[in-house]
Amino acid sequence: MKRLLFVAASCAVVPLLPAQDFGKAYSFAERAPRSRVEQTIDTLLPSIVKIHGASGLATISAYASGILVSKEGHILTVDQIMLQPERTRVVLYDGSVHQATLLAADDRLGVRLIKIDPKLVQCELRPLWPAADTNFRTGQFVVSLGNCFRLAEFSEKVSATFGVVVGRANTALRYRMTDVKYDGDVILTDACNNPGHYGGGLFALDGRWLGLNLKLLDSKETNTMLSAAMPVQDLLPYLEEKIHGKPRPDAAAAKEPAWLGAVLFDKAGRQSPPAYVERVTPGSPAAALGLRNDDMIVRLDDFSIRTCREFREILGKYTPGQKVTVTWKRGTQVMNGEVVLAKEPTR
Amino acid sequence: MIIALSLALTAFQDPLAEAQANEARRVAVVARCTPAVCSVMSMDAPGGGSGVIFDPAGFVLTNYHVVGEPDDNYKPPQAPAAPPASELEAFRRGKPDATDADVAAFTQAWRERWEVEHRPRGSRHYRNKKVGLPDGQLYEAVVLGIDPGSDLAVLRLLPRRDGQTWPHCDLGDSDRLLVGETVFAMGNPFLLASDFTPTVTFGIVSGTHRYQEGQGQRMLVYPDCIQVDAPVNPGNSGGPLFNEQGEVIGINGRISIGDRGRVNVGVGFAIAANQIKNFLGDLLAGRHAEHGTLDMSAWFMGSRTDETKRRGVFVQQLFKDSVAARNGIGLGDEITRFDGAEVRSANQLATLIGVLPAGAWVTVWHRPVLGEGGFGDERRVTLRLSTLDTGSSLDGGGDDARLGSLADRRLATAAVLARWRAAEEPAGAVSWSAVHPDGATHRGILDGDRLRIERGAVVLVREGDGKGFAREGDVVRELTADEHERLRREAASNPMLWPRATARQRLQHALLIGGVHVHGAPAYRFALPGDGECEAWFFADGTPAGCAFRDPLRKARVERHVRDDQLRFVVDGKLEPGWSAGRRTVGAVDESWFRRQS
Repeated sequence: MKRLLFVAASCAVVPLLPAQDFGKAYSFAERAPRSRVEQTIDTLLPSIVKIHGASGLATISAYASGILVSKEGHILTVDQIMLQPERTRVVLYDGSVHQATLLAADDRLGVRLIKIDPKLVQCELRPLWPAADTNFRTGQFVVSLGNCFRLAEFSEKVSATFGVVVGRANTALRYRMTDVKYDGDVILTDACNNPGHYGGGLFALDGRWLGLNLKLLDSKETNTMLSAAMPVQDLLPYLEEKIHGKPRPDAAAAKEPAWLGAVLFDKAGRQSPPAYVERVTPGSPAAALGLRNDDMIVRLDDFSIRTCREFREILGKYTPGQKVTVTWKRGTQVMNGEVVLAKEPTR
Repeated sequence: MIIALSLALTAFQDPLAEAQANEARRVAVVARCTPAVCSVMSMDAPGGGSGVIFDPAGFVLTNYHVVGEPDDNYKPPQAPAAPPASELEAFRRGKPDATDADVAAFTQAWRERWEVEHRPRGSRHYRNKKVGLPDGQLYEAVVLGIDPGSDLAVLRLLPRRDGQTWPHCDLGDSDRLLVGETVFAMGNPFLLASDFTPTVTFGIVSGTHRYQEGQGQRMLVYPDCIQVDAPVNPGNSGGPLFNEQGEVIGINGRISIGDRGRVNVGVGFAIAANQIKNFLGDLLAGRHAEHGTLDMSAWFMGSRTDETKRRGVFVQQLFKDSVAARNGIGLGDEITRFDGAEVRSANQLATLIGVLPAGAWVTVWHRPVLGEGGFGDERRVTLRLSTLDTGSSLDGGGDDARLGSLADRRLATAAVLARWRAAEEPAGAVSWSAVHPDGATHRGILDGDRLRIERGAVVLVREGDGKGFAREGDVVRELTADEHERLRREAASNPMLWPRATARQRLQHALLIGGVHVHGAPAYRFALPGDGECEAWFFADGTPAGCAFRDPLRKARVERHVRDDQLRFVVDGKLEPGWSAGRRTVGAVDESWFRRQS
């Protein structure tokens, strides 16, 4: 047994500067695309990038996908722990590797723009932008593009998966043990999401960009794993603001959230638990009401509150300074009181 | 062209009609492919996989991991107690006064012949398999050849009646696949169908030329596989992946799994048909197919600090006695090209090597690392891949490792010959030559039994069995015994000199003994009866690919690898560089070629 197995160890010690060209596609001869799906994928592939970041801990992978959204080198991806300053590299379709800088993430959407220096790019940058029509229909055919399981390296093509839109859903989402902040609708599809596939895109067969592939999320309501994408419509305000400097239409008019000052016993789990008070912030409206821990909030004005999630949703309808009647249960006793909502003090 | 365009346009104008046409086409392809898809099961253990019949003679492709481990308690097949009545009757007719002792002796001899014919020769054997076909019939199948290196095996269905044939699907060209192309996976996942009707799943090609590391020591590497999103599940292993035309473009063997456990997550891998073709010769010849290796590992590297250092693929480890080292490739050298393809990553190099059989000749371009840290000029070496150990030595090793019996291999030989396309070439004398840039030319002319070989000033002519002469300048003399034998072997084994139409007839007593890689394409080796280890080589379509025999004049085994004008002369495993193939002509016989006086 003197022979060594030919195992290719691919280790990319990636240089800081300048961008490195690892060449055109492999020398494997390939025919021209024929069918509509082949053509669409062929057109879209150069806009999908491979992202490598700080090496993952345990089961957290250090690779993902991204979508090129501007000629200036903006790349949209799902925000995650691997995206660390100085340690995030982007691999373009020509195989070149680029150092990326991180731009501000959107916390609610859970997405982040990163940027490469377009001057160091030798190939043509082919960005995507949401079309006027971003609608999707249940049953519609889609292709999902992304570098799942890091199967593609350098100039190799990322994976393409075919599927249908299974539906639109608004469900409480969880990633592993953490709640997901995004509360808009998601596109459900049977084109599987896998590690590394997230940050890639979901497209209609005519090439229209429909969504951004999310991580492997669980629905908290059914406790099942979803292959979901975030509709581009929801991403557009963020993209417009960060890339074109256009203020978000809702940002100017955005009202300050109302604050009661009761911290609820809300843990990530299958279902949102009842709105039990865990702690009351001193000096808050809740303290003024006389709320105590272990009280269960059951009503805000005429809105009944069954879960922590409902409490947050209902409270979102109020603004600081508004009056609200809070009803709660303490032991077997039902109590209520009126209080003026405040603004959350800045820490 | 215009008709096709207008047809396409009308189809697009009516989406419903287009969808219905697509569906009808899909249904037709699935219906055509279904009869060839089978379930492969062990004789006694539960579980199983899938397979596909790729030849009407009943040859089945499946995964090696479906075939399982060799059987320690293997018992060779026993000859029937008596020959068939027809043969016994024929013997009695030929010898009317035969005694009982004569009949017993005949029976004994018949049984010995049967055992030579039907017993496999290797030292490790696999139990027969049960193969269920979609018509509900269950057949027994012999494990004919295995390729643990790329997770493949070929089975041979045992017929229920003489001359039985089976529905089959042909192998397609997997290098023509494109991401987004429609594919179907078929097989029997979870052994769902107890009547063996296959499950069909639909998807697209998600990626091509993917490299997947081996599972198990040096085994089951998927060096150049097709990634598909068609659901592939446990039990689909060994089943075919079809393209839209219903050609087998891969064998489904593996899936990636995510956080969800051992279920399909839309990432399946199929062994590419073009890789399979590289090993089909060995598999059909009943061998443990062997993979090639450079006996080194490579490393993809870039340097942050030292601009003089190149970024690329570098030799990371190699043995002093490895084929790479013996050809001047050193530790730290940069590998720039492999068989014409530019090497861009270590993965790609592994893909390029991984699909090649042992013994394949390849050309490697490298830049030797210099002592002071720089790199020298690009160097080109042509070398023969050595053998990756996947346990073939335990199966008997080399040419003796035969899982199949002689009878199996005779069938395989006939099956390979039956796939040749019809030869369209006039009969006549064939002339073929080899040319060297320094002016040397070897030329041969064959006309039936007569052969003339010109090697510079020396002309050797065979006029028929046992007759011939040699001429050097104006001196004519009789052939020596060695020269005579040399001419016989050349005529018997060199298919470049055979009129195409006669090739099948000349191979009627030949036996398929394996595959050989000739200038980047797979070919089949046919052993010819008689002394001299004569072999004729052909590509799958029947085009001559070269020959090999023991040359009594050079006292060495010579091989000629021929593809179009490319020619490689190999003498006792060493390359004689510079040769290329000259023109091959077929035409009328010029009697002066075979005349003693010029």
